[in-house]
Amino acid sequence: MEKVGIVGYYQLKPELDIMMSPYEAIFTAVRGALDSAGLKRKDITTVVTCTNDYYDGKTISNCFKVEAGGAYMKDETKVELDGAHAAAYGLYRILSGNHKLAMIYGFSTPSCYFYEPVRILELDPTFDRTMSVINPYTTGGMQMRAYMKAFGVNEEDIAKVAVQNYKNCSKNSLALPEAKKPDISVQDVLDSEILSSPLRRLMYPIPCDGATAMILAPERQSLKITDNPVWITGMGQCQETYYLGDRDLSISVSMEKAAEKAYKRAGINDPKSEIDVAEIFGHTSCEELILAEAAHLSEKGKGAILLDSGPALNPSGGAMSAFTPCASGLTRLVEAAKQLRGEADGYQISGAKKAIASGQVGFCAQNNIVFVLEGGG
Amino acid sequence: MGEKIISKINLEDEQDIYVKRGMVRAEFDFWVGIVMDKFYEGLQNKQFIGTKCSKCGKVFLPPRNRCADCFAKAEEFVELPQTGVVKNFTVSNYNVTERRVRKAKEPNMVGLIQIDGADTAMVVPIINTNPDDLKEGMKVKVVWAKNIKGHPNDIAGFEPVGGG
Amino acid sequence: MAHKVQPAIISCGFCEHASKRSDVNMAELVNEAVEDCIKKANIDWKDIDAVINGNMPAFEGANMPELWMGDHMAAKNKPMLRVTTGGTTGGSVTIAGYYSVASGLYDMVLAIGFEQQSCGDTTVGLASVGLGEFTIFSDLGYTIERMRSNMGGGAAIGIASYQAMNYMRRSRATEEDLARVVVQNRRNAAKNWWTHLKMPSITIEDVLDTPYISYPLRFGMVCPASDGACAMLITTEEKAKQIADIPVYINGVASYSNESAILGIDCAGAGQVDPCEQLGAMKSAEVAYGQAGISFPNKEIDYAEVYSPFPNQELMWVERVGLFEENKAPEAYQNGVTALNGELPVNCSGGVNSTNAIGASAMERPAEAALQIMGKAGNQVPKTVHTALGHGWGGSINLITHVVMSDEPQRKWR
Repeated sequence: MEKVGIVGYYQLKPELDIMMSPYEAIFTAVRGALDSAGLKRKDITTVVTCTNDYYDGKTISNCFKVEAGGAYMKDETKVELDGAHAAAYGLYRILSGNHKLAMIYGFSTPSCYFYEPVRILELDPTFDRTMSVINPYTTGGMQMRAYMKAFGVNEEDIAKVAVQNYKNCSKNSLALPEAKKPDISVQDVLDSEILSSPLRRLMYPIPCDGATAMILAPERQSLKITDNPVWITGMGQCQETYYLGDRDLSISVSMEKAAEKAYKRAGINDPKSEIDVAEIFGHTSCEELILAEAAHLSEKGKGAILLDSGPALNPSGGAMSAFTPCASGLTRLVEAAKQLRGEADGYQISGAKKAIASGQVGFCAQNNIVFVLEGGG
Repeated sequence: MGEKIISKINLEDEQDIYVKRGMVRAEFDFWVGIVMDKFYEGLQNKQFIGTKCSKCGKVFLPPRNRCADCFAKAEEFVELPQTGVVKNFTVSNYNVTERRVRKAKEPNMVGLIQIDGADTAMVVPIINTNPDDLKEGMKVKVVWAKNIKGHPNDIAGFEPVGGG
Repeated sequence: MAHKVQPAIISCGFCEHASKRSDVNMAELVNEAVEDCIKKANIDWKDIDAVINGNMPAFEGANMPELWMGDHMAAKNKPMLRVTTGGTTGGSVTIAGYYSVASGLYDMVLAIGFEQQSCGDTTVGLASVGLGEFTIFSDLGYTIERMRSNMGGGAAIGIASYQAMNYMRRSRATEEDLARVVVQNRRNAAKNWWTHLKMPSITIEDVLDTPYISYPLRFGMVCPASDGACAMLITTEEKAKQIADIPVYINGVASYSNESAILGIDCAGAGQVDPCEQLGAMKSAEVAYGQAGISFPNKEIDYAEVYSPFPNQELMWVERVGLFEENKAPEAYQNGVTALNGELPVNCSGGVNSTNAIGASAMERPAEAALQIMGKAGNQVPKTVHTALGHGWGGSINLITHVVMSDEPQRKWR
């Protein structure tokens, strides 16, 4: 795969209830990304948006956002999954040679809708939706139970992941203020309310409003735009079957396939030693471990080891820092790019050269996407 | 689909159903399709009807008409027993519906239950037992609802064999 | 930069369209089209590298339905992308298929567009396009009465009747001209196996006898709401040559967005004052023809499928995409230029006016155009088609997709 440069990005500071109209939020993010790269709107050739009709409560959610997203008289389209999938489509467009600068943004405001109830609309309407027992809480609980049982992991290990995420959030100026908990202990997590056994409240991120934008460009153009581009060298994507009963919830087949493809494209043979930073979008603390293991960052069932050694797992705080539907995966990409550019103020991993970032949609991370990023310099 | 429309302006005399605080609702009906139709019919007779892949022989419950691994037709119907095994479970403190999340009065027991003879499991409620007594591998049997309507909600839940 | 990978269409599949496909659920409906497509291409489903799908989720009340329908799309453990842009969804999915192959990352991509509108209420779904703007209207102090008249009879027909009025004023087209387009479409549809409204003996008088829905559009002129799905296999030039007799090369794609209609964002701008001006369509056409090396579309395009749920739009689009001179389309329709055996046949599949499964419609346009090039269309034109056009329209009349294809790969460098 030819490498594609990330030349600019912008994250809106996430809030539980943002005091901005959707257009204003998107405009701020897109404008910020253009400014960060020193570009103008006229330089954009294509815009790939990521919003969701159900989350926005509006049919064809992208059609009124054309102007705000800088897409007027530009080749514009919408990906209705995670922001990371929109980045993948932007990548296709750049790699095809048709486009020289792709603007990608993801946006959602969960303050305007109930996040968990809307997730129910993803279910098979002929059976699972009528039974109404599958929801993000119960699937998270079953996944955690499957993982704990398969590998003999105890609740403390998973709570430690949450604790580290909350501590990382406190160093990240763009993390959700509610998630900044520098003094949290493992016991605090284990004492929090049970959502669906054994999943606890503090292992589950808070949906928040936000918008993230990112600019991609081909290699030659990237070098002209910035001295310090971040290269996307590999990308892999995979969707596994929907039925929870068909799947081994303690592992993630789709993440494994996606990561293997991404590593192959990027020419990475030993991810454990080659990757410095991993920004993984896990819907729960447990899922974060499952996905990190599936990405071959540690052995199966030993994911908790990443808290102490090996690639740095979610130095930004991961999904806990900004869990915005439609933008979380894109935010992970931006956070990984920040690490490689040395712009992660306060949570910089020194000497980070290669990173991965992941995005997902679906219950128990049914559809995963992985990017391999390399620092330019 | 719910849509929240917030308007802070009161229109003098024309304040009617079009603009107000609240939800605009659209109702949806889903066609159940070829194989689920038989499944619904089976529920009416208090039976579980699954399908079998014509190639690998896997039995699906709830039925689907395509086997994902073979991409082959799975339209041979098989009747399955009313007992099964708990493969995984969780106890949820919340009721999540398409409209809202509410704290549940009683914890909800939810299980991933594989009916004997089926190769796949379905996510259904577990009832008539204590959350602390749940364990993987537990034998369970179906409890039918009082009013059978030929609808998945005819499955009131599964209870442990022997009363639990 | 020269084209690195040349994408080509090798096969298109359909399911039968009807107003209520109550015999199947959404997954099975899609599966019919997918199986048809794979069978016609004569390949193994395991050869498919990636799947791209799209529909308008608000019409069925299912968010991201490909998650549970994936197994019916031959997509287990494969990359899956969902692209939805309203009316242009199908076209956007086709374009996403083009880009996935053109990027060099995937060799064989299955693109799927579908809609089962009988599950929900389409007008409610469409009204929410407008409802979202209610806040803005009320902030401006619009009264309900005025809002209602501005919104017309709902989302699609409301804007289409304005469009029709503007077009008729410009071109002096009459209601009879509109009815003529409908007659041509419905008669064509009768010869195509998968279409919805088949009316082999409909006449202009029949159409003009129906009541108005919103002047000048009559009941008989409006598209139906259909259930249906369309699938398409897109692959590389090398593979296409091995698999298909006549591969159809996609040589130009574009989807340039115009300003949203009515008021623009937060009522800051004028939006589109004249909904039949269609700058986005003109720009898209220009770019796509440029990519394909077409300088004189009216001479070089042999066949066109345009997205026209309402007959005035068909007249408008063929002008805006450069097939006819401005205001000359009604005359061309009168002279039979666009008929099956005409010089430039348009919408011989029956068009959106006869079958409108919204998420699939904009994909059926390039699919039918591709089939005409392959010589496998349900209503095949007698002349040989070398270059064809598949067009899509949607959003708040501001989104466009434009796909130009040919039986020869792109020669021109860009």
